[in-house]
Amino acid sequence: MTLVLISMIIPALNPLGLPLMVGSMSKAWYNTIDEAPEGSVILFDIGFGSGGYPSLGPGTIAAFHQMFENGHKIIMMATALEGSMMYPLIMASVKPEQNYDAVYGEDWMFFGYIAGGQTAMAGILGDIRALTSTDFEGNDVDTLPIMDGVNSADDFDIVAYVTTSGDTSEGWVYQAYSQYNRPVLGGMLSMMTTSMKPYYDTGQILGLMDGIKGAADLEFLTGHPGDAIISSDILSFSQTLVLIFIALGNIAYWMQKKGGS
Amino acid sequence: MVDYRRDIPLAITFIIGVIAVLDYYTTFESISNTFTVIKNWGVVLQAFALGLGAINLLRVHGRRISEKRDGWYFSVWLLAMMFIFIIVGLMTGKYEAGATYSWLYNAIYLPLGATMYSSLAFYMAYGSYKVLRARNFEAGLLFITAVLVIIGNTPIFPAMFPSLFSLREWIFGPIVGGAYRGIRIGVGMGAVVLGIRTLVGLETGYLGRR
Repeated sequence: MTLVLISMIIPALNPLGLPLMVGSMSKAWYNTIDEAPEGSVILFDIGFGSGGYPSLGPGTIAAFHQMFENGHKIIMMATALEGSMMYPLIMASVKPEQNYDAVYGEDWMFFGYIAGGQTAMAGILGDIRALTSTDFEGNDVDTLPIMDGVNSADDFDIVAYVTTSGDTSEGWVYQAYSQYNRPVLGGMLSMMTTSMKPYYDTGQILGLMDGIKGAADLEFLTGHPGDAIISSDILSFSQTLVLIFIALGNIAYWMQKKGGS
Repeated sequence: MVDYRRDIPLAITFIIGVIAVLDYYTTFESISNTFTVIKNWGVVLQAFALGLGAINLLRVHGRRISEKRDGWYFSVWLLAMMFIFIIVGLMTGKYEAGATYSWLYNAIYLPLGATMYSSLAFYMAYGSYKVLRARNFEAGLLFITAVLVIIGNTPIFPAMFPSLFSLREWIFGPIVGGAYRGIRIGVGMGAVVLGIRTLVGLETGYLGRR
């Protein structure tokens, strides 16, 4: 375990800039946002909390950089309890007002945490004003220019989410794609890639940001290097060490078996 | 004889379930409006469930403290932190998190939550060392597949040898994807059967112990 810890600390303290290959799923996410017409309305779900922030936070920040650069309108919500606390952390890194002259209420807004999981998704895709009349800061929804003409799923051009929950990840496919045929982009932990890739293969999800690797890809593609690219060095070191452990374990096992027989 | 404690919840489940199904398959405005109201009430109920969870925590851990069970001091710490967050959160206004609450969250909860997830890395490294041994044919297949996927997932190797990434994609595609689709189809069919049984009142597990 000490060796694993050392393999993580060295690249964390001294980033090496090891090469990485951009995956096709992350590239598809990037292309979907890039090819959307300027001013597209994107519903974005912050579906993770403190546990997922190291893996998914950097990718979310890179995604927002790209959306603001492309002039898209972002309507944010949180299906995770801690999503409301992730929002200020993410916005403090993106700095949309300073970097992109974006204005809250015109270029982005945040509904806050909406309880209920898929019930919340169905509610916001069905009739926003029946679900909530105010945003996270207490402003009346009808006073926000970004909400002009936006009230249900048909008014969203893309539905995107980043989450650590399998229920949320599949829930957006059921609610946004199956019921309303909205284009969906999904971000999740690497361990969830296996379960979500079939949806990507069938076209129900247009792009996947899979964990820290996907986040690093997005940071590279958007030209906003951050914690994920540094973490990809840590990933290279630690996983190489794990491979060495596996090899040593098998060599020791077979030598022991041979010695015993 | 009508059993009100059983029959009324079953009737409510049936009516709301039918409205939900009709909303999906039809375009009647009255059905859509009714289901919108039901969905919004669902959101409110689930928000109240959070408060109920906090009360339940108080009840369970309060009993642990009063009975001085093993580790009761951890329960004291848990309840103390819960009340600190609740009191500070309620004091800092209706809509804003407030500087104090944000500091509490960012300084205490965020690093702890991140650490809990990060500790998985050590368990997975040790587990890989213990489990991935080619003891027999099946274990050997698992070993080879796991090693190929780990190599494909390690950023540096596909960057140097792109064919390794293609190999990982191939494993994820036809092999894992095919198997997972089979599982999901089975789960989906089971969910449909469970839904129908719940609607007609054959499944009553959600009513609780009676």
